[in-house]
Amino acid sequence: MTGQAFIALLPELISTGFLILVLMVGVYSDSNAGIAASLAAIGTLAVFASAAVLLASGFSGSFFGDGFVVDGFALYFKLIVAGSAFFAVLAAARWSGQTGDAPEYMTLILSVVLGSTLLVSMRDLFGIFLAIELATIPSYAMVAFDRSRRESAEGGMKYLITGVIASSVLLYGIVLIYGVSGSAMLSDVADTFTGTLTPVAVLGLVLMISGFAFKLSAAPFHFWTPDAYQGAPTSAAAFLSVGPKAATFAVLLRILLEGMPGAAPTWTAVMAFLAIITMFVGNLSALRQRNVRRMLAYSSVAHSGYILAAFAALQGGGVAFAVQAVLIYTAAYAVMNMGAFLVIDLVGEDAKSYNGLVRTNPGVAASMALFMAALVGIPPLSGFFGKLWIIIAGASTGSILVYIVVGALVVNTVLSVPYYFGIIRNMILEEPTTDTVTSKGSGAVRFSVYVLAVLATLFGLLIIPLSALVGASGLA
Amino acid sequence: MITTLTIFIPLLGAILVMLLPDEERLLRYAALGVAAIPLLLSVYVYFAFGDDLGVAALSQDVTWIWSLNIGYRVGLGGLGFGMFFLSTFLTVIAILASWDVHRNLKQYFAAIFVAEVGMLGVFAAQDLILFYVFFELTLIPMYLLVGVWGDENRRPAAIKFFIYTFLGSTVMLAGFLAFGILADTYAMDALGGGGGLSRTAQVAVAAPILFGLLVKVPAVPLHSWLLDVYVSSPTSTNVLLSGVLPKLGTYGLISVAIPLLPQGVEPFLPYVAAFGVINIVYGAFVAFLQPDLKALVAYSSIGTLGFILLGAASGNAVGLNGAVFQQVSHGLYSALLFILVGVIAARTGTRRIEALGGLAARMPWAGGLLALGALAAMGLPGLAVFVSEFMSIMGVYATFPVQGVLAALGIILSAMYLLYMLARVIFGPIERPAYEEVGDAGPAEMASVVPLAVLLVVLGIFPALLMNIQRPAVDAVLSVIGGS
Repeated sequence: MTGQAFIALLPELISTGFLILVLMVGVYSDSNAGIAASLAAIGTLAVFASAAVLLASGFSGSFFGDGFVVDGFALYFKLIVAGSAFFAVLAAARWSGQTGDAPEYMTLILSVVLGSTLLVSMRDLFGIFLAIELATIPSYAMVAFDRSRRESAEGGMKYLITGVIASSVLLYGIVLIYGVSGSAMLSDVADTFTGTLTPVAVLGLVLMISGFAFKLSAAPFHFWTPDAYQGAPTSAAAFLSVGPKAATFAVLLRILLEGMPGAAPTWTAVMAFLAIITMFVGNLSALRQRNVRRMLAYSSVAHSGYILAAFAALQGGGVAFAVQAVLIYTAAYAVMNMGAFLVIDLVGEDAKSYNGLVRTNPGVAASMALFMAALVGIPPLSGFFGKLWIIIAGASTGSILVYIVVGALVVNTVLSVPYYFGIIRNMILEEPTTDTVTSKGSGAVRFSVYVLAVLATLFGLLIIPLSALVGASGLA
Repeated sequence: MITTLTIFIPLLGAILVMLLPDEERLLRYAALGVAAIPLLLSVYVYFAFGDDLGVAALSQDVTWIWSLNIGYRVGLGGLGFGMFFLSTFLTVIAILASWDVHRNLKQYFAAIFVAEVGMLGVFAAQDLILFYVFFELTLIPMYLLVGVWGDENRRPAAIKFFIYTFLGSTVMLAGFLAFGILADTYAMDALGGGGGLSRTAQVAVAAPILFGLLVKVPAVPLHSWLLDVYVSSPTSTNVLLSGVLPKLGTYGLISVAIPLLPQGVEPFLPYVAAFGVINIVYGAFVAFLQPDLKALVAYSSIGTLGFILLGAASGNAVGLNGAVFQQVSHGLYSALLFILVGVIAARTGTRRIEALGGLAARMPWAGGLLALGALAAMGLPGLAVFVSEFMSIMGVYATFPVQGVLAALGIILSAMYLLYMLARVIFGPIERPAYEEVGDAGPAEMASVVPLAVLLVVLGIFPALLMNIQRPAVDAVLSVIGGS
């Protein structure tokens, strides 16, 4: 391994090191919750810092026989993964200590970080599959980790079964693509996937996208999402819905743009239909939920649909904007969705427990109101910029189908107002009831919520310039 | 710089009132003091730079998102200055008129200040995306002002208001984005005259933008969110809801849609004028039937907004000047009437017109000013509304004679219902013994209505005070659209 390759793998090496360290703490120390959480927090921050340094120094290159690439695009997503993992560690610190298994839980988080950071750098279909599994298998355990609640085991089981099916579908697709092109390297695949596709190639493409649709909870492959997120510990739901998901979107973007640019008319059409179905299914289901956790789960389905709309816009004049849209939306979504999930830890999952929260706990209520408004896409909060770029990308394509997708996105944005604003209404317009919780959860969660609220508010000033920087150096 | 300063000082005010101790007198004086600063700054701008506000002066231009050419671009032009000033003025009035709000006063003032940032920003924005961002920034504080501090019907009213106007502005944003993508910039000064778009493209872009703006006004078939919101709101929120918010729509029409998309808007102008007539006639008829004094004023307010649409659609100097002027005079008179309705309701405990009567004897000041406001609403010469309504009708008559004639008839209708209202509410014998005890408006209430009445009279007698500032900007619009 050359020195350059060593530097390129720095984030992954750091997360591996801390993963082992945290696991050892669990083995050799009895009162270990604090140590494990602190180590995991330092570890995620170190991964974040190493990726940030690499990004700032303009490091880029291709390693291990072109199978592992480091570019601005990959580093940006490593930042999102490590950053969201840091907040997940903070959120889980006290709770995982109470379960008595803090080092194990922290190890799981760090394994997901390792898998996801590897994933965004992979340029080889089998490497991609392995990295996805490395990120997914620990996440089954994270979802089922809360042994005090039956839903957790149930959610974990459903997630495991559907996840395994999804993985096999994905693998079938990859194998067929490998069979058609004789190589798993994206650059070789690109040579085969041009012009008219053979039926086998189309089948491979469709199976692969279906596998990804499972992982990204895109309709009609989304049905595991509400159960898994409802059962999972809050920190797991918050992290899994943003960090690994952003990485999965990133690698799908890389596969499609680097591996199959010639087949763009086929897969953009598939993405357009997936996007429309996913947006409507997510929002219409979320409208009926009384449980905030399930509501947010369906909302995450809807937001997958919005991001898939950017994928549909990867054609014509929209490519550069669409790549930027994915960069911006995943970061914006990470901030606002993570924040909203963490508030559940502080308040509760019944919509009624939010009644009159503004009087009993104004800071948390204001933050939650910001997250909800950001999820709708009200300017100048984070979600607005994501949607702005998707609309711009879609409008620049010149394709009627994509215009319809953009129209569906606008309709869905308005459709989502009642359920997000239902929470704001409960918090601000209703009177406090006996269900209203005054204060629970740890200071670390509260701190995370406030930091994320500030990020969601100042997103346009802080993160837009960063993503513009990456957009210039990355894929497009 | 002074423009940016004026826009964002209310934000500091919002933070300040949130930090102050929860003491009512202190909060009221602090809020008043902060609100006075933007007002003084805009008065300063009037005297120091009033003659130079041709198109957009005192501007600031910082590119914000390079790849899309979106910028923080603000500047004060003659078209926007009147409303810019009025927003700062009505915020002060709203704070003075907030005597009926006692609960969560801090948050109330904070919401008003955040709304003020949005309102001032819209009238100064010189970039389409920035215009939209400020436009939406008013939405949440207004939702809260209605939803938290309104009457018992406030919750459905607030959510209805939010969904309607959010739908409108989202559609408008889609139009803005399409415009910006086709023209490759969002800077308004570069987009004048259509930004190089073909006529067909302009029409396609103008349609969603006009829809969003007309929902905000609201033009009559798109108005169904309005009544509940106006009637449920506290008095001081009404001042901003009727005085400033509709003008976000009309200002967008006059200084964004018309000059930037002249050929795109042109085919819609007869309909805009027709909407104006419908507003006037429908507003007058429905106001006639209202048993509730506040609902009557609400419909009167919708009605006279029609004159702005008429003037805007006229495409000539007289009409456009009238429309720009009517934005200000409408804000003054409707704020005056809403506050007086609040005063009367607070004194008598009812807003039902049939239960009121003979109040002039007990409340000479409030009653007299109510009469002044009503006379202003029906366009009595010598008051500001007359100037602008007259000019709007003259302007539109030259372009669309049918709409002009119908609008003039609408004035007669409005005179009928307003005089009938005055006869029932303030004249005649005192209906109920309880009203023998009713006192006149107090000092705080007088302080909030007298400045409005004074400005109505002053601008009625010396319209040139405002006309001189807006005329060069209106001429610039005319040179773009090729009118005279």
